[in-house]
Amino acid sequence: MKDRLKSTPGAWVISREILEASPGYPSKEELKRKPVIVIECPEEIPCDPCETICPRGAIVVGEPITNLPRIDQDKCNACGLCIPICPGLAIFLVDNTYSEKEATVSFPYEYYPLPKEGDEVNAVNREGEIACKAKVLKVRDPKSHDHTSVITIVIPKEYSNQVRGIELQQKVDKNE
Amino acid sequence: MGKETMNVELAVVGGGPAGLAVAAKAASYGVQVTVFDENERPGGQLFKQIHKFFGSKEHQAGIRGHDIGYSLLSQCEEFGVKTMLNTVVWGIEKNMLGIQNNGRTYTIKTKKTIIATGASENPLCFPGWTLSGVMGAGAAQTMMNVHRVQPGQKALMVGSGNVGLIVSYQLLLAGIKVAAIVEALPKIGGYMVHAAKIRRTGVPILTSATICEARGENEVEEAVIASIDEKGNVMEGTQRVLPVDLICIAVGLRPLAELCWMAGCKFMFLPVLGDHVPIHDENMRSTVKDIYVAGDVAGIEEASTAMEEGRLAGIAVAEELGYLGSEEADEKKNLARKRLESLRLGPFGDTRAEAKRKLTESEVNR
Amino acid sequence: MSKKDLIICRCEEVTEEEIKKAIREGADNVDAVKRATRAGMGLCQSHTCYTLIVKIIHEMTGKPIKEILPATHRSPIRPITAEILAKSKNM
Ligand SMILES: Cc1cc2nc3c(=O)[nH]c(=O)nc-3n(C[C@H](O)[C@H](O)[C@H](O)COP(=O)(O)OP(=O)(O)OC[C@H]3O[C@@H](n4cnc5c(N)ncnc54)[C@H](O)[C@@H]3O)c2cc1C
Ligand code: SF4
Ligand code: SF4
Ligand code: FES
Repeated sequence: MKDRLKSTPGAWVISREILEASPGYPSKEELKRKPVIVIECPEEIPCDPCETICPRGAIVVGEPITNLPRIDQDKCNACGLCIPICPGLAIFLVDNTYSEKEATVSFPYEYYPLPKEGDEVNAVNREGEIACKAKVLKVRDPKSHDHTSVITIVIPKEYSNQVRGIELQQKVDKNE
Repeated sequence: MGKETMNVELAVVGGGPAGLAVAAKAASYGVQVTVFDENERPGGQLFKQIHKFFGSKEHQAGIRGHDIGYSLLSQCEEFGVKTMLNTVVWGIEKNMLGIQNNGRTYTIKTKKTIIATGASENPLCFPGWTLSGVMGAGAAQTMMNVHRVQPGQKALMVGSGNVGLIVSYQLLLAGIKVAAIVEALPKIGGYMVHAAKIRRTGVPILTSATICEARGENEVEEAVIASIDEKGNVMEGTQRVLPVDLICIAVGLRPLAELCWMAGCKFMFLPVLGDHVPIHDENMRSTVKDIYVAGDVAGIEEASTAMEEGRLAGIAVAEELGYLGSEEADEKKNLARKRLESLRLGPFGDTRAEAKRKLTESEVNR
Repeated sequence: MSKKDLIICRCEEVTEEEIKKAIREGADNVDAVKRATRAGMGLCQSHTCYTLIVKIIHEMTGKPIKEILPATHRSPIRPITAEILAKSKNM
């Protein structure tokens, strides 16, 4: 199991530059100022449920449907509805205003068992490497999410740009 | 043993998303439809797909594959579509089908036939590929999501197209570890968002890499992987041994088109659609009178496109059988074609759109 | 396991070497290979081995893949027992 958490040289990663250049990614200033939706969907695929579900018209895909989703942070009120509907599990909510030293990251999660609120867990980056410790603040799994839970964790602020999930909670064979 | 011949106005071979969409659509205009599927339950690939779909609202995006399957089934029920399950269609000649059900064979006389038999998985052969534990990604998916059994404890996935990526994700959801995904090409084949969600669990996706060998007594115990150069040759010294008991092969699909060959349909060779593809016109009609095709058999695409092609064929058949005026039919067909077009946009869809155009514009259609 | 014993048709246990031999002896299409080696005549009706055989023919003869057509399909496309066929005589 250990080897899974080390990065493998040469393994594919989604590029930070491509993500940050895409129209679903908030600006540095926005990231500091308020809770923001971060869309990590930088490739032209035929898909638009994020646009359809947003009650405030903050996400626009438009025509053709392969346009990259564009977000208007001023229209978004961080309701989080778009997070569980995205079939690519590519939408996150990052709040750098949570406290002086801490940020929260909310992300979609479909694995079972779910962590419990209050749990101490390992937060992972886009490559699945453990980035830091995290505390589980909220676990939302209403029926309307159709088995995609939205989990909110609290982490040290400096990691809010890399943390995008948690280590799987499945029981791991310790002998490995 | 009297003659066992049945008459069917529209016979649909294959009860996947394409076949069910044809059936529901044609039946909604009054056509008498019977769907034949060799499986115990209808739905084809859909019931294996426990993930949420891409697309737009009209394509039921954000809804899980199996739920789309249920809604198609209830439409079929509503419009009185008959389904014959556990039934293999084993022969076709003009307007006759040979079927087998429950140990007996029957002849079906039809006015129109839709062939919507889907696809089969391409194999990959390497030393040890016949060991138990080496299987198609689709087979692993069926075991997990339909039969609820774990195909293994620790897996290697070969191929990073959407099938390889989605099945890897589903392995993880089922609690199976994925040691790595190897891809022979220098870049991943499927959507980045699929790859990214797998990477977040730490699974390495290795490009320009392949499987060299599966080792084990009777079952897979180890897989040897290695990096390859541009020519596809293994680079010495890069071999790594992974302890796995499952090797999933996801190196592409091809149309399951035997019935089309048997019926005498003309084909075109189009690698982006899975090699030999039956030629069809823009109403999904093959080059043989009264035989239509829809879904993966008419070119490997997706469930969303399969359903649209199905609807298109359903409308066309209803029109030909006189259940629908040509004006109304044209209007409806154009809407379906528009939706198909929108699904074939972007870097992933462009090449398919072009290949499809070659098929429909082929002069053999005239 | 040596490359020579690599099985191509798992239903009929035909090796790569046997198929190559048949091709060297003149079998340059899927049907001819099938007749010479039984590869593709198994339970799966060549669903599994078909593309592998095509690839070998292509590599050995240089014939473009697009020209290597599937073996001629005669009914039935799925294995059916003789007993069942005997039961119904009208197809
Ligand atoms: C792992 C995976 C993930 C996918 N994810 C997506 C996705 O997210 N979105 C998307 O849009 N698409 C997705 N697809 C693609 C989608 O599943 C297929 O494109 C779609 O199922 C094709 O539909 P179909 O009706 O043509 O064929 P199928 O679903 O394959 O159905 C064909 C049916 O015909 C039956 N049949 C075949 N021959 C005979 C015969 N002779 N007699 C009787 N019955 C017969 C078969 O048993 C089967 O039930 C995915 C595919 C895979 C493998
Ligand atoms: S968080 Fe709510 S308002 Fe903001 S983009 Fe998502 S759905 Fe729209
Ligand atoms: S729903 Fe997700 S995958 Fe689809 S366009 Fe929006 S962000 Fe991209
Ligand atoms: S593998 Fe050749 S016939 Fe089955």
